[in-house]
Amino acid sequence: MSFNLDLLLAGTYHDWLIQGLRLSLGMAGITLLLALPLAVMVAMFRLSPVRALQWLGAMFVESIRNVPLLAHMLFWYFGAPELLPDGIKRWLYAGNIEVLSAIAALTLYTAAYMAEDIRSGIRSISNGQFEAGRSLGFSFLATMRLIILPQALRVTIPPLVSQTLNLWKNTSIATVIGVGELMYQAAKVESTAFRSAEAFAFATICYLSVSLILTGLGLLYRHRFPVRTA
Amino acid sequence: MSRTRFICIMILFATFFTPLTYADQLADIKKKGEIIVGVLGTDEPNSFIDPATRKIVGYDVDLSEAIAKKLGVKLTLKQLSVAARIPELEQGRIDLLAASLTHNKEREAKIDFSLTTLVTGQRVMVRKDSGITSVPQLAGKKVLTVKGGTQEPNIRKAVPTADVITFETSLQAFIGLQQGKGMGYVNDEVSLFNNYGKLGDAQKDYIILPQNLSIEPLALGIRKGEAGLKKEVDDALRVLEKSGEAEKLFFKWYGPNSKVKLDKRTFKIDSDKVDG
Amino acid sequence: MGMIEVIQTYWVYFLIGQFPDGPLGGLTLTIVLAAGGLLLAFPLGFALAIARMSPWRTLSWPVTGVVYVVRGTPLLMVLFWAYFFLPSITGQKISQFSTMLGALVLFNAAYLSEIFRAGVQALPTGQFEAARSLGLSYFAALRLVVMPQVMRNMLPSLVNQFVSTIKDTSLGYIIGLSEVSFIASQINNLVLTKPTEIYLVLALAYFILCFGLSRFAFWIEQSHVRSHLSGGERSKMPRPVKRTLTEQT
Repeated sequence: MSFNLDLLLAGTYHDWLIQGLRLSLGMAGITLLLALPLAVMVAMFRLSPVRALQWLGAMFVESIRNVPLLAHMLFWYFGAPELLPDGIKRWLYAGNIEVLSAIAALTLYTAAYMAEDIRSGIRSISNGQFEAGRSLGFSFLATMRLIILPQALRVTIPPLVSQTLNLWKNTSIATVIGVGELMYQAAKVESTAFRSAEAFAFATICYLSVSLILTGLGLLYRHRFPVRTA
Repeated sequence: MSRTRFICIMILFATFFTPLTYADQLADIKKKGEIIVGVLGTDEPNSFIDPATRKIVGYDVDLSEAIAKKLGVKLTLKQLSVAARIPELEQGRIDLLAASLTHNKEREAKIDFSLTTLVTGQRVMVRKDSGITSVPQLAGKKVLTVKGGTQEPNIRKAVPTADVITFETSLQAFIGLQQGKGMGYVNDEVSLFNNYGKLGDAQKDYIILPQNLSIEPLALGIRKGEAGLKKEVDDALRVLEKSGEAEKLFFKWYGPNSKVKLDKRTFKIDSDKVDG
Repeated sequence: MGMIEVIQTYWVYFLIGQFPDGPLGGLTLTIVLAAGGLLLAFPLGFALAIARMSPWRTLSWPVTGVVYVVRGTPLLMVLFWAYFFLPSITGQKISQFSTMLGALVLFNAAYLSEIFRAGVQALPTGQFEAARSLGLSYFAALRLVVMPQVMRNMLPSLVNQFVSTIKDTSLGYIIGLSEVSFIASQINNLVLTKPTEIYLVLALAYFILCFGLSRFAFWIEQSHVRSHLSGGERSKMPRPVKRTLTEQT
C-alpha cells in the first residue's frame, strides 16, 4: 500500500484530522490560560510564611505530579463528576463533558509542574533582595510583586515554555476519554480506512512542528534575555 | 565508551528490527506446540475476566479451546484492544483471532475468516427517561460505543448526524450511558443483552431499541492465505456443530440461564460466506 | 457491592494480573516495565550524550536533531507508530510488552542523554582537561575521570526519571497492555457502579509508588549534600535535571 498524500489534502479524512488539530490546539490554549494563574497561586502558597498554606501547596503539587495524567483523565471523566448533585451533573453531561474533563485534568497537571518551576525561579533570587524589600516596609505580597517576580520571570520563562511543550504533547492522552483531538482522529482514520501511515504522519508532523516552534521560542528568549548572574 | 561497544549496540538494534521470515503457520503452530489466540477480555460474554479465577472466559475462549484441542496444542490467550485486533493478526503476533470479530467484505481484503461462529444484530441501548424509542431519534445526540469495531461505522451509516464518541472498551461506553454521558450505547446484541442483565434492579430504566443497525456474522480471524490453518479451524468447528457441542456452548453463554437470555439459536456453524 | 468487597475480590488481580496462570499484569507489570524501560535505555542514552558532546559536528548535530524530535513528539504517537505501523514494514513480531518497552527505551534514552550531559557539564572542565593533559585519551578521560563523578551527581535525577517512566507506562492501557491502569479500568467495567472509588485506588497506588521514590531521591540529594559539602557551598551543587526541553545550554 503506497503513501497516499491526497488523502491528507482533502476529503473526509482530511477534515477529521484538521478538526482534531484545532481541538488539540484549543485545549492546549485554554489549559495554558487556566493553569498559569493557578500555578502562580500554588507557588505563592508554597513560599508563603504561613505553614498551613505551604502544606496545602505541597499537597497539591505532590498529589498531582505523582499520578500519571492518564489516571487523572479517567478519574476526572468517569469518577469525579459522579459525585456532583444530579442537576449539575445533567447540565454538565448535556454539554461536551469529554473536553471539560480533559481540560480539568490537563489544567491541574500542568499547574502542578508550572508551580514548581515558578517556585524555583523565585527561590533563585537571593534572599537578601526579599529581606531588603521587607525591611523597606513592603508587605510579603508587595515584595513578591514589585521586587522578586520581575526578576524571577527571566529565570522562569524558559522552563515554563518547556511545560507548555509538555502540555501540548499531553493533550494527546485525552484520546482515552473520547475527546476528538488529533490522536483520536488519527486513530479513527487508521481504523476506518486502514491508512495508518498517512494518518500518523499527519499527526506526527503537527505535534512536532508545534513542539519545535515552542522549543525555538524558548531558545530565542534565552538568547535575548540571558539570566544575569550576580 | 569503546568503539566496539558502540558497534555491538548498533548490531543489537539492527537484529531487533530485522524481519523474520516464517513458514506455513499451521506447521509453525504444531512445531511450537502452542496456538496464540487473540481475545478481547473486555466483552462479556464473548471473552471476559472471571474475577474468581483471574482467567479469561467466554464463548470465544471455549471455541478457541476446542480448536487447540483438535490441533493437539496448548492454548495461549492474548488480550487485545478492539482497534488492535486486525493489525495484531496481520503482523503475525497472534495465530488466530477470537475477539467478537465481525466478518464483512471490507475486512476480507485484509484477513481470512473461519466459518461464522455467531450471528448477532447490532442495536442501541438508551435510557428510558431520554424518551428515545427509535434509532432515527438519535440524530444530533451523543452516542457512545467502542473504538475500532464495526459499531462506529454502522451507527454513522444509520444516523449520520449522531455525535459518536468512542472508548477503548465497550463497557466504558456502557458506563458512560449509565452515567448519562450519552443518549445511546451501540453494541452487538449479545453484549447488549448481557450488559442489560447486569443492570439488575436498574433494568427498568433502560430499553434496547428494537431496530437492528445491522446483522453481524461473527467469525474467527485467520491471516490471509493460511489455507492450512483455515481448514483445520473450520474442520474443528464443523465437528463441534455436528456433535451438538456448538449448540451447548451457545446456550451456556447466551441461553435462558445466562444473562443474555436467548431462547433459540437461529444459525448453524456451516458457512464462511457473508453478504455485502 | 461495597468497596471492601470490591477490594477483596480484585486485589490480587490488581497486583499481578492473571499471573501465574496467564501473563503477568497489574502493578507488578507496571514496575517491571518501568525498570526495564529505564535500565535498557542506559547504553543508548550514554551513546547519545557522548555523541552530542563529541567534538565532531557531523555526529553531534544529527544526534541533537534526533533528541529534539523524540522529545517533541508525544510518547503516545511513538507508541502508535511502533504498534500499528512499524511491524507492517519490518514484518517483525513484536508483542505489546516489547512495543511499550521499545518506546520507553527510546524516550528514556533521549531524556537520559540530557541528564548525562548536564551531569558532565556540571563538572569543572579542569577535571577533563587535567585528565587529557595527563595523557589519557578522550574516551579514557571520560570513562575513568568524568563518569564516576557524574554518576554520583546524577542519582537523584535518575530516580526522578524512574518516576516519570512509571507514569509513562500507563499509556500501555491504550494498546491493551494489562498494566495497572488497564487492569483498574477492567475492574471498573466488571463492577460498573464504583468508578470514583476504583480510579481513586488506582491514583493512590501510583502515588504511593512515585511519591515514595521521589522522597528517596530527595533523601539521596540531601545526604549527599551533607556528606560532601559544608553549608556555604551547598548552593553550588548541581540541581537535579528536570524533564524540560529548553533548559539546555
